[in-house]
Amino acid sequence: MSSADHGFPKGERFAVTRRELLRLIGGGAGLVVANRFLPISTALATPVAQAATLVVAANFVIKSLDPARTIETTSEMVNHATYDSLVTFDGEDLKTPKPSLATSWRVSSDGKTYTFVLRQNVRFASGNPLTATDVKWSLDRVLNLKANSLFLLDGVEDVLVLDPSRVAIRLKTPKPSILPILSSPSLGILDSKFVTEQGGDATPDARDKDKAETYLNAHSAGTGAYVLTRYTPGQEVALERNPTHWRPAANAERIVIRNIVEPATEQIQVEKGDVDIATGLGQDQLQALRRAQGVSVKTSPAATTFYVLMNANPSVGGPFANPKIQQAVRYALDYAGILTIAGAGSVRLAGVIPTLFPGAMDPRQGPNTDRDRARSLIRESGVSDVRGQLSYASDSTIWGVQMNLLAQKIQADLLAVDIRLDLNGLPITTALQQYRDGKNQVGVWSWAADYPDASDFLVYLPGRTVGKRAGWLPDASPAAKALADLGDQVEMEPDNAKRLALYQRIDRQLAEMGPYAPLFQPAVPYAFRSNVGGVTFNSVWGLDFYTLTRTA
Amino acid sequence: MNIGRFVVRRLLLIPPMLVGITLLSFLLSHAVPADPVTANLGEQAAANPEIVAAFKHHWGLDRPLPEQYGIYLWRVIHGDFGVSISTRQAVAVDLRQHLPPTIELALVAIILGLLIGIPLGILSAVRRDRLVDQVGRMFSLVGTSTPIFWLGLVMILVFYAKLGWAPPPGRLSARIAAPPFMTGFVVLDGLLSGRLDAVADALKHLILPALVLSSYSLGIITRMMRGSMLEVLDEDYVRTARAKGLPRWDVLVRHAARNALIAVLTVVGLSFGGLLSGAVVTETVFAWPGLGSYAFQSSTSLDIPAIMGVGIIIASIYIVVNLLVDVAYAAIDPRIRIG
Repeated sequence: MSSADHGFPKGERFAVTRRELLRLIGGGAGLVVANRFLPISTALATPVAQAATLVVAANFVIKSLDPARTIETTSEMVNHATYDSLVTFDGEDLKTPKPSLATSWRVSSDGKTYTFVLRQNVRFASGNPLTATDVKWSLDRVLNLKANSLFLLDGVEDVLVLDPSRVAIRLKTPKPSILPILSSPSLGILDSKFVTEQGGDATPDARDKDKAETYLNAHSAGTGAYVLTRYTPGQEVALERNPTHWRPAANAERIVIRNIVEPATEQIQVEKGDVDIATGLGQDQLQALRRAQGVSVKTSPAATTFYVLMNANPSVGGPFANPKIQQAVRYALDYAGILTIAGAGSVRLAGVIPTLFPGAMDPRQGPNTDRDRARSLIRESGVSDVRGQLSYASDSTIWGVQMNLLAQKIQADLLAVDIRLDLNGLPITTALQQYRDGKNQVGVWSWAADYPDASDFLVYLPGRTVGKRAGWLPDASPAAKALADLGDQVEMEPDNAKRLALYQRIDRQLAEMGPYAPLFQPAVPYAFRSNVGGVTFNSVWGLDFYTLTRTA
Repeated sequence: MNIGRFVVRRLLLIPPMLVGITLLSFLLSHAVPADPVTANLGEQAAANPEIVAAFKHHWGLDRPLPEQYGIYLWRVIHGDFGVSISTRQAVAVDLRQHLPPTIELALVAIILGLLIGIPLGILSAVRRDRLVDQVGRMFSLVGTSTPIFWLGLVMILVFYAKLGWAPPPGRLSARIAAPPFMTGFVVLDGLLSGRLDAVADALKHLILPALVLSSYSLGIITRMMRGSMLEVLDEDYVRTARAKGLPRWDVLVRHAARNALIAVLTVVGLSFGGLLSGAVVTETVFAWPGLGSYAFQSSTSLDIPAIMGVGIIIASIYIVVNLLVDVAYAAIDPRIRIG
């Protein structure tokens, strides 16, 4: 008897009858079949005001929804809808501050005092009227909590209530960037009376005494077009139209923002119409969605600079600390090829300031790929064997740009001129730590604008945030010291034309002598159903839900 | 040893094991060459010493490591898991929100694995080398070797995007209001609050991710059941049962399958733990707000209280499931003595 027979007589080798077979598979397959035919179709599910709800997909980056404690992308998008700031920007623009809660402002002759006149008849969602006290309380809270968004108010001496509808911000030194900075959703104005009742504190002891964060993570307390009705971390944010908002009511009654981590999943959902706007897409999804019916795709410029960092400290940078090698790298890179990785809508950068800001260099002024010149610069440097390590966040995709692809491209470009780089791709947290500790020999990184002003990109100057990470300090050379001083000067320059000229000078010098190779300014890829209108993406706060419309 | 004493002894071992797990998680979290400051503060904020000092003070990171661990352990003993750095909620609240979706998913996945895997394994064994066996073997091979990430995307593409049989990823449709939070299990909460629309919607959303999640355990269960059945069907007692003229069904199910199940039971216990870890990928693909996605988010932001909370919960589930498996051995096979 063969072992295959299992002791059953021949002819009965299939030791189960059809009925038994059915009994066996009934339990398993039956469940699957039952699931298929159970009357649980969407027809039974009651849509909640379907026409009034817009569903937005995003890859959540939210730590908190308390404006004073957050600066993350998704929370900025939510807070821009639920809180108003003193000033704002229209659509994608980042150049011209527009009135919001402040209808007008005046700058003192010494450039150190900004006086704002508040909009009349504005009420918070609680019904409390907006007064200058609320503005002072909200900004004092940011100053005293000393949380994530404190840096926005660097240089602020104090905030004064002049009368119920006028408020003044006094600065230690002139700081023209304060006006665009005040558009940040992190500086949104809170209902001081109401938030105080919920444990809010704006006194110098706020760091220890403020207990309002839990409340503000579940409810908003602003004057924005929407109110926060639900926030489930890692899952969903739900907003409803604010009936007390000062502008005409927003078109969409309800906004649901869902956390969808996987871009391919977002793509399919927007194709099927289960998501109205998809904001977490990559370049692959964008290409596919261009061919999808009923879907519109768009890109908006992002105020972000992608760049190669070469450590100027010889003990870390080795051959890459040599200015000739740094220049050779800039000539060796294939910028046109890099732009294809960056995706549609991205723009070549000649300097480190994104072209969205006045003062940025014209992209045409950047170095063109010239590998002969790169080789000749290497020879001039006297370094015979240029080798090193390129660090980057291997799991990171920023505005649809995959950092591992970008790193591979840079490696290949530099190999063409005999600069050999080993790839050191690490998870974002550890890669970021090395970068912030100034331990990158060569790195490829990006810097996103925290607020809409070119001054946020002065971080590349010697001795400033990125400068230090690149081992580049003001005492490196007289030219570095002069450039650092120029940075201090431009921050305080009140005259627009002079400031613009100074920024252009700084950007040019950074591009020529800085230990960087500026690459590109990316574009944010997003897609939406074709019946959704008014979709614009601002680089600082993302979508503006107020402008969204949907036709049937 | 009687079963009651055995269970009590095993339960008493849980607290020291959990202390060991917290210590291990704590040490591992601090062995990562990165700082929670880097993971949680923005670029400008991290460059500002005043903000960094305030952040460290707020989260107790300015204290020596042994003191941090001591404080944490003391709080855990008193039922306080701390506050998550990334959600700013009590970790206990986070776990209460994220655990039910994963249990819901893992339970349905394991039930699917058992309901499909056991009959398929039996059939494969009984019809060895025939078509049904080939299909069963292919099924288990595909189940164990296909990456869940890929399978999930393909299933979404086929059953949601192309055929329209399945709903979009997520636990509920965006336009369906969630039932009030009572147990955290949407199906149960829907039933308790009379929200049948939410129940129906939640059930539909469960099927695809549960099938994908079950693929690995389904493959293993099918394979183990087939192998065990092949072994058991050659035993003398099966032949004796047949010789005594017992109906084929009784021989197959009561005599052969019951004995073959013992090996499968071990696999089920182990694969339940696998399901919890596999849930990280499945939950990402299916936008499922469970413990897996919470664990992933916590680890990427070095959210130490959350990482440790997840560690304690997963370890506890593992321990309890293994205990249940040991007890079930005794129930299935009277020859097994616990002790």
